[in-house]
Amino acid sequence: MSLVHPAPSPTAERPPLIVAEGVNKHFGAAHVLRDVTTRFYEGEVAVIIGASGSGKSTFLRTLNRLEKHDSGRIVVDGIELDDSVRNLDAIRREVGMVFQQFNLFPHLTALENVALAPRRVRGAPRGEAIRAALELLTRVGLADHVRKHPFQLSGGQQQRVAIARALAMNPKVLLFDEPTSALDPEMINEVLDVMKDLARSGMTMIVVTHEMRFAREVGDRILFFDHGELLQDAPVDEFFERQRNDRIRAFLGQITH
Amino acid sequence: MNVALGVWPARWTRQQRSTATIAASAALLVLFMWGVAKPLSWLPDPIGPVAEEFASGTRVTVWLTLASGLSGIAIGVLSAVAKLAPFPPIRWAADLYVWAVRGTPLLVQVLFVYFALPAIVPGLQLSDFSSAVVALAVNVGAYNAEAIRAGIVAVPKGQTEAARALGLSPVQTFRDVVFPQAFKIALPPLVNNVVALLKDSSLAYVIGVVELSNVGNRLQAATFEPVPTLATTATIYLVLTTVLTRISGAIEQRLDVEQRR
Repeated sequence: MSLVHPAPSPTAERPPLIVAEGVNKHFGAAHVLRDVTTRFYEGEVAVIIGASGSGKSTFLRTLNRLEKHDSGRIVVDGIELDDSVRNLDAIRREVGMVFQQFNLFPHLTALENVALAPRRVRGAPRGEAIRAALELLTRVGLADHVRKHPFQLSGGQQQRVAIARALAMNPKVLLFDEPTSALDPEMINEVLDVMKDLARSGMTMIVVTHEMRFAREVGDRILFFDHGELLQDAPVDEFFERQRNDRIRAFLGQITH
Repeated sequence: MNVALGVWPARWTRQQRSTATIAASAALLVLFMWGVAKPLSWLPDPIGPVAEEFASGTRVTVWLTLASGLSGIAIGVLSAVAKLAPFPPIRWAADLYVWAVRGTPLLVQVLFVYFALPAIVPGLQLSDFSSAVVALAVNVGAYNAEAIRAGIVAVPKGQTEAARALGLSPVQTFRDVVFPQAFKIALPPLVNNVVALLKDSSLAYVIGVVELSNVGNRLQAATFEPVPTLATTATIYLVLTTVLTRISGAIEQRLDVEQRR
């Protein structure tokens, strides 16, 4: 499988991979997303940050419709996200997701976790799916653990299996929902290293995280959410080095202590 | 059940040992169904001469239990899914079924299927055995529905989200991800239901199925020797429930990849 895309040239006019326009979402009386408008391009690493409850995870989850948006438009790879189930299946094949709690299938081995979706969704023959899964698990450094069940793996290893599982569908974009927040500190780096490798290979990534070092090092741009609003959408150096917004400066001050 | 697993070589994996226990217990059951006549025939009057009748009653009881038990699990899965369906009328139908079956005696249900159903559905011809299977399956299916529904609800929501996010359809998500986990959770109550079913199958006796209780009761009436005839009947039930519990215990071990038990 080819995960290496040509390096994107920053000046070229490219069609966006994901377009969100005026997206609103309520949970009961709470207005959790307020008119969110942004675009994501192929090959870019966008990092979404903000306080908890700011709507950043909810926004990420609207991009593969794990949450439905109430109004506005979301278009992924030219397909509009609406109630049409066919659209949804087509989009979910192109959009991979990595969860905070890993959500590996506990009754399957690491290998079976990775091979399941290609077999069922793409109809890949068993042998082929297993070979591809082995390759992916080797790539995330788990060649010695392919026959283990999730409970036999550490949190960091489970999350790396989850990344391999998402990659197995050969998605055009990977969504990460706080991928290191449930990990013990000593396991965070092994997951971040895998994500850095992915970013370097040209993978399009949208990452909700509190890891500011990762954001600085790997991110192309930062989206800052505040009370459901996309308060700022800025290139990474501008965001960290020339931040003018007082609220964001206060937030960054707290989080980097 | 660890005792049962302990007899296998220690170098076998837990999976292999539980599979071996399942196979050995199933073989034991088959052997018992056809071989029990032999030791019974060595017993003195009134058991020895009718050993073959006990053996054939045992076989009928096991067939009744297997046929209604397997259909009952299928009915239980379907009703559990229906109970969780997004479309309200489907939920209502499933609730109605469970409510009606759990609120009426099994004896009445057996009589109803045998006598009343042909009157309601003209042209329906069910043998006494088939009627008993239908009544027992419908009965245990209602209890299974509750057990399986609880199992499905206990599977974390993140499992469904992960499967859906990978592009699996709702049916694939249920079959490959949710159901295997739900079944494992539901297994202990399902086993209780099947053991109860094995004993409840004795009610097929009222519509003339010649199963184990029927054999035992006829022989005690004919010989005027209730103690040996009914003690033999009870002992055979005890052997059957023991083997059944052992098989299900091994299935539980086999599914328990996390080795919690």
